[in-house]
Amino acid sequence: MSTGILKAQGLCKSYKNKQVLHNLDLTIEPGKIYGLIGRNGAGKTTLLGILTAQNTKDGGQVTYNGQDVWENQQALNDICFSREMQSTMFYGRNNLKIKHYLKSAAIYYPNWDKDYAQRLLEEFKLEPQKKIYQLSKGQLSMVTITIALASRSPITILDEPAAGLDVVMRERFYQLLLEDFAQTNRTFLVSTHIIEEAASVFEQVIILDEGRILENCPTEELVDQFRYISGREDEVDRVCAGLEILSVHQMGRHKTVAVRGSGVKLEDARKADVDIAPMNLQNVFVALCSHGDAQ
Amino acid sequence: MHGTLNDQSLIYLQIAKMLEDDILRGVYQEEEQVPSTNELARGYNINPATAAKGINLLVADGILYKKRGIGMFVSQGAGEAVKQKRKAAFYDGYVKPLVKEGASLNLSGEELLAMVHRAIEEGEPL
Repeated sequence: MSTGILKAQGLCKSYKNKQVLHNLDLTIEPGKIYGLIGRNGAGKTTLLGILTAQNTKDGGQVTYNGQDVWENQQALNDICFSREMQSTMFYGRNNLKIKHYLKSAAIYYPNWDKDYAQRLLEEFKLEPQKKIYQLSKGQLSMVTITIALASRSPITILDEPAAGLDVVMRERFYQLLLEDFAQTNRTFLVSTHIIEEAASVFEQVIILDEGRILENCPTEELVDQFRYISGREDEVDRVCAGLEILSVHQMGRHKTVAVRGSGVKLEDARKADVDIAPMNLQNVFVALCSHGDAQ
Repeated sequence: MHGTLNDQSLIYLQIAKMLEDDILRGVYQEEEQVPSTNELARGYNINPATAAKGINLLVADGILYKKRGIGMFVSQGAGEAVKQKRKAAFYDGYVKPLVKEGASLNLSGEELLAMVHRAIEEGEPL
């Protein structure tokens, strides 16, 4: 599938007095599955909305293959942002049926795959006649996922698709995502709070923190830069000199430090009398984004 | 393939190790095809790029080779190559920590060697 580069430069966005995106740059390259992780209120949904021209921005630029995406039908034809469904609409129930959403998706997305949508509905045991307000949170997620996958858009963006799903369905969702990715090699950008089980699916991880991109790099490359080092206080301090220290826990003379360093420096630590343990993506995320909230 | 991804090491290293284990156990014999990147990705719910990285590691070590348009195959002498690689890793991963732990317990070299001999005698015959 020929997909282009989606690029944001110098994005700024404020809601009233609160600035949510700070001069943010981001490049989404074709043929990869990206994970977008960030804490509540980090600006994930705002960012995704602006990338897909569904939300306005105060400054900066979003381009797809060099063309501005704003009101650009040609660019937006290639991009699907399947938003979370709401069971209420304005001040009442959302009386639309699943089939209405699928029908409008078929109009919006030029690559819409009707058979695939049908298969997914069966897989999720969703009845097209059902009204949106009658669906559970998990079922709402399934409709969102169905639309995203069946859109067959070269760039497909999902905001918290796993949030309402039980653990079995979450696993199934990532399987479906990988199956489709293997076939089409299209670009996916998926935001999630449930980090660890998604880590192996993401080739590239984007960490958004307080409206700024902290990291955008291959998941394993990022995780491999972090370690826990623990042992006797003085020995740990000696080993950690010159390494970036992210958090410290101390119990008596025993000290555990979360560090970030290059491979060479971490190799030095191996010779010392300390224990070195790897981190997973969730540990890395907490170390980078907790700002002292987690203990 | 067997096993699950659960330990803390990087996933592509775990994929490489599982393939090596299967070569040692004869699950995949020399000149036989191993699962493709996409099969591994599907089987373990991992990104195909990660699976490819694991496979490429074994290609670089001469354990697997690529037949164009067909897939990845086990090289001649792959079992022996895996054993050689594991022996080097055994020294770094087991023997060195053993000596280090012995030193922290103030065991002398002779005492440590005597313990190793005893373990060999008590253990399964080689």
